[in-house]
This record gives sequence, structure tokens and C-alpha cells, in this order.
Amino acid sequence: MATLLQGLQFQPGASVIHRLDPRVKLLISTTLLITSLLYLEVAVTSLVIAVELILSAISGTAKRWAKTVYGALPLVILIFLMNYLVRSFSEGSYCDPSIIYVSFATAYRLIAFLASFSIFFLTTTPEELGMTLTKLRIPYTYSFAFISAIRFTPILAEELQTIMDAQRSRGLELDRGNPIKRVRRYIPVLVPLIVNALRRSYELAEAMEVKCFGASEKRTFLRELRMKPRDYAGLAAALLSLALAIYARFFLELNLP
Amino acid sequence: MIAFESVEFVYPSGVKALDGVSLRIGDGEVVALMGENGAGKTTLLKHLNGLLKPTSGRVLVDGVDTRKATVAQLARTVGLVFQNAEDMFFSSSVWEEAAFALRNFGYSERVVERRVDWALKFMELEKYSDASPFMLSGGEKKRLALAVILAWSPKVIALDEPTTGQDQLQKEKLLQMIKLLREQGRTIIISTHDVEFAAQLKPRVILMRRGRIVADGEADEIFLDEELLRSCNLLPPQIVSLTKRLGFLGIKPSLKHPREVADEIIDRLEGLSCKT
Repeated sequence: MATLLQGLQFQPGASVIHRLDPRVKLLISTTLLITSLLYLEVAVTSLVIAVELILSAISGTAKRWAKTVYGALPLVILIFLMNYLVRSFSEGSYCDPSIIYVSFATAYRLIAFLASFSIFFLTTTPEELGMTLTKLRIPYTYSFAFISAIRFTPILAEELQTIMDAQRSRGLELDRGNPIKRVRRYIPVLVPLIVNALRRSYELAEAMEVKCFGASEKRTFLRELRMKPRDYAGLAAALLSLALAIYARFFLELNLP
Repeated sequence: MIAFESVEFVYPSGVKALDGVSLRIGDGEVVALMGENGAGKTTLLKHLNGLLKPTSGRVLVDGVDTRKATVAQLARTVGLVFQNAEDMFFSSSVWEEAAFALRNFGYSERVVERRVDWALKFMELEKYSDASPFMLSGGEKKRLALAVILAWSPKVIALDEPTTGQDQLQKEKLLQMIKLLREQGRTIIISTHDVEFAAQLKPRVILMRRGRIVADGEADEIFLDEELLRSCNLLPPQIVSLTKRLGFLGIKPSLKHPREVADEIIDRLEGLSCKT
């Protein structure tokens, strides 16, 4: 779980992708997301994953991106098994190649889906994220809440580790016994985590009030977002790919699951 | 007996936190692990009960290689008190909190009851038995964190920065309790950068810097070596600075109790006034 979340954490860099306008990056990630949802073809999903891999390689975040994929694997395997079992059960046949193919494609698609936004999050600072959301006319109070959630995720992950260490030092064995007992064993970990998170949110609220959060109606930014030629090129490429993906799916009916 | 044999530890992020640490800590020793933030103190403590396993080298606790034992097994010998007490509280009452580990270790209810009562009494918390651990003051929380560990009476007690955020009175209490534990023959390992606090225990001092041990010796030696302390971003205890400046009275630099030093000063001054 913690590895999956690492893919949401901003990684500093000076690559072309990092310098791209965050709105364009948002569109690129959305394009990848929509494309991965439109198709159940292994070939198309592979193409989406390949594009994601190339983009993250250019931005120098391929390692983190791979971690997201790695962290998603348990979920992917679960989806595959559930699909396979449910479909096989309803069809009454347990080794139908088409069922295996569809289950695999569904699970495989999840990788492309989950990893699509990590390109956006890995190369966009929380500040840029805030500006993007504001440009999309989302009230700053909401976008601030969203940004803080993202910002606090790594802190929360670190704290989770400390709490688990503290409780294991008291003889708690998290991976012993049957699943029901195991869930109960997580109570000593979750209670301190939630208590600390609540306390931190109160502290943050106080700190923000001290700094007059929400004193003025319209928030201004030190740096304004401005599209450069490079950004227009990225925008055009993303829009074109998205249009192509939608056109091919609905008008050429390429995908017939 | 604890032994570190050329232990190296590298975090997944690539940070080398321990770089060739070798050391032996005998039963009943009191050790102060000192050095600035990031020197590797906490990493070293986490090796004592197997929360972290060495990347290379090995750690032996009473002859057991920590890589071959679970944390739960090692924790019976080594009780680790974390820096932030709030990272462990989850029970509805102080009493239940202290009973948690004993139940994990499978003690019978009768033993649990006796041990918890003893530990809470020892830490002067018995009147809060039914209170929520979250309602305690900072100092009481710290004491409960220690009581929680003492309940199962581990042979080795490791404390990570026990004095942060504690007022003078709480520190004094903590000091008395650590002294009592020492008299019970327990091994005590404290990671701290509170020089004044450590000096009062007159411990064996291990100085760390960037994952290495740079000095290992008795408090009387190390705390008098200002240059060495400064190289680890520590300052000598005030009593050392004071006695160093009183050399003209014939007083030698030492870690003595302020009262003793005061007596010495009075002695010398009386000697002086008689001569004139």
C-alpha cells in the first residue's frame, strides 16, 4: 500500500515534463486514463503502458512509476482472480481461453489506469497542483484540502511505519493467525494513526487561521501559469491522441470484447 | 550481553545510517548513546530488538542472531521505549495499555494483573489506572510509555530521547527511575543529546557521528573532552565548564555533583581567607 502511494509523491526534477504546464500534464494523464478505460485490448493497454513508461523515463521518475505498478500488483492479481472466478462460475466452464483473456485484459488495464496519474503527480509540485485546480475554477478551500491530503500522505506513511514498529516492539505480531484475527490486530496500529492525524489537522487549521487563511475572496499566486509554445505542442499531441482513441473506439469499432 | 559485529545498515532510500558499528554492551551496563540528529542513534536502537536487521554484519542479543529471531521474540529481552509516546497508545485505559504486551506474550491473567499493578505503581501512575492514556500530561505519557515496557520486565531497556519536551521535575523523576532500574541490574541504553541529563547518570558514553562510533568511554573521560564533544555538535555539561574555570583555585575539572563542587569551592575560599 505504501509503495502504491509513493507514485503520488512529487519528485523534484528539471526535465521537459517537469517544466510542462501542469494543465497540459493533467490532460495527458487524463488522455491515458480514458484510453485505458476505452479499450479491453491487450495491445492497446500495452501501448498506453509503453507511453506511460516513456514519459516517466523522460522525466527521470521511471523508478517511482515502477513502484506504483509494483504496489498495484496485489490489487491486479485480485482483480484477475475475481474476474476469472465470477465469469467461469456463471459460464460453468473453468478453462475457457476467452474468459482467461478477458480477465487478464481487465486486470492488465488496471495497471495502465492506476499508473496514468502518477506521471502527473510525480512531476507536479503541490503548488502547481493548487494553481491548476484554481484555474479549473475549483474554490481554493477545496483545492487546499486536496493538496494537503496529498502533501500529508508521505508523512502518514512514515508515521504508520513508526507506529507499527512501536507496537511490534510490544510483541504485536501483525501477520499471524486467521484473517479475522489479523484485522483485529490492526486496531493498535490504526487508533494511534487516526488520533495523530486528527491532532495534526487541528494544528494545521490553527496555523492556517494564524496566517489569515480565507481572509480575501480571491486568492492570488506569486507565479502565474502561462502557456508556452512547448505547452501548446503538448496540448495538441494530447488532444489529438484522445480524439484518435475515441474515434477509433466508437466509429471504427476497433474493440469488440 | 549485546554485540554488534561490523554492522552496516542502509535504508531503502539509499541512506547509510550505520557504517561499520562494532560494540559490546555487558549485562547491567548503563550506556548513553549520544550524537546529533541523523547520527544513527535511533537506527542503532532499532537493531536491538530486530525492527531493523543489519544490511551486513550481525547483531547478537544474548547470543541470538537478530536475523534469525522475530521482533516479538527479541522484545522479551529488549524493551524499546519510543521517542513519541503517542505513537503507541490505543487502549481505553492506562491499565489496559500496560497489559497489552503481557497478553501478546501470553501471560496468564493473574500474572498480567500483578505485573501491570507493579509497573504502574513503579512509575507513579496507579491513580490513573482507569483514565484514558490520551488524557495524561506529557510527562505522565512518557512514564506510561516506560511502564508499558517495564510490565514484562525486560532485561535490557532502551530509551529513545526520553527527555524531549520534559520539564525539569519530570526529568528528575525519570532520572530517579532509571537509577532504580540500574540498581535492579538491568542493562539501560539511552539515546539522547541531553548532555546534562546523561551526565547525572555517569554512564558509559558512546559518541556517534554519521553512522560511526567516534568515541566510547566512561562519562568522566568523554564529557571532559570539549573538543571531541564539539566535533559531534554537543557541548560539555555546565559543571565541566565551571570546574574548568576554577583551575586557579586548584579545583580539577570533573563531573561531580554541583553540591560537591560548591563544598570544594567553599573549602578553597576558606583556605585562602585564612592565609591573608
